[in-house]
Amino acid sequence: MDISGADLITVARYLAAGLCMGIGAVGPAIGQGLAAAHALDGMARQPEMENSLLRTMIVGQAIAESTGIYSLVVAIILIFVAG
Amino acid sequence: MEKLGEELIATLQVGPWRISFDLPAVAVGVGVTLVLTALALWLRRGLPRDPEGPLSKRASFVAAVHETAETQLVAGFEQPLRQRLLPLIAVLFFYTLFCNWVGILPVPYIVSPTQNLNIPMSLAIMVYVLAHYYGLRTRGVRLHLRSYLQPHPALLPMNVVGDMGRTLSHGFRLFGNILGGAILTTLVPTLLARVVYFIPAALFFGVLLDGFFGIFVGTIQALVFALLASAYINLAVSS
Repeated sequence: MDISGADLITVARYLAAGLCMGIGAVGPAIGQGLAAAHALDGMARQPEMENSLLRTMIVGQAIAESTGIYSLVVAIILIFVAG
Repeated sequence: MEKLGEELIATLQVGPWRISFDLPAVAVGVGVTLVLTALALWLRRGLPRDPEGPLSKRASFVAAVHETAETQLVAGFEQPLRQRLLPLIAVLFFYTLFCNWVGILPVPYIVSPTQNLNIPMSLAIMVYVLAHYYGLRTRGVRLHLRSYLQPHPALLPMNVVGDMGRTLSHGFRLFGNILGGAILTTLVPTLLARVVYFIPAALFFGVLLDGFFGIFVGTIQALVFALLASAYINLAVSS
């Protein structure tokens, strides 16, 4: 089987997309877990604040998710657009 | 899987510019608008004529939705602005919600309009422009421009870039979540059917993922989109 330069580029694209998504998902996951843990802590301490804590937690997690979304966009570009 | 790359794109030549339309996304987006308008008109017809009379079912539903939207979506605003912004933020929420939900229908060409980058990004840019508009209106030109020099004038480029990056990530967040969900709901059942040769298992996972990404993630992301829009406008009008 002949392996040309174009095949190598395809391999590199898929490999890069996998690595990008895999490594890029670690940070947001840790950040969202921390936010949920501390929000639960606060809710256990002050159950009457539950509504506002939940809302703030969701917004905070959405912000923490940004970097994961960026890596998803890069992975999608690598698979569908690049090359 | 083959359907993923296939798109119905109409192009329009206006002078030197070529404008492309993603027909399914545009059609479903307009369709969602029509459905929401019909729903709103139907709900309005249920309102009682005299305000003192007993509440009908539809009227109490509208009251409950209004109450929830006011306490959850625009809670951060002071009173005159809160009434003004409630319709905008609520429409942003319901429009993105229905756009996300429509993707779970297993009909070809009915896709979430929000998985086309143009639609979330235009909503995000609209929020960006509105934030500046309300900032200029409530604080005045001087105070609004001076907020870019806080906490130190040397941070001006940082503030400007951060402002635009915020809008960029606001649009990308909705787009990425919905598109990622759509790709996974297509990818996992296809791979399962090829690997285990057991179609019911693949179908089961397809329905499960469709429900999870369509209903659960769709609701959360619509809420996040509306809450962030409210927070960005609030940031521009406060202090």
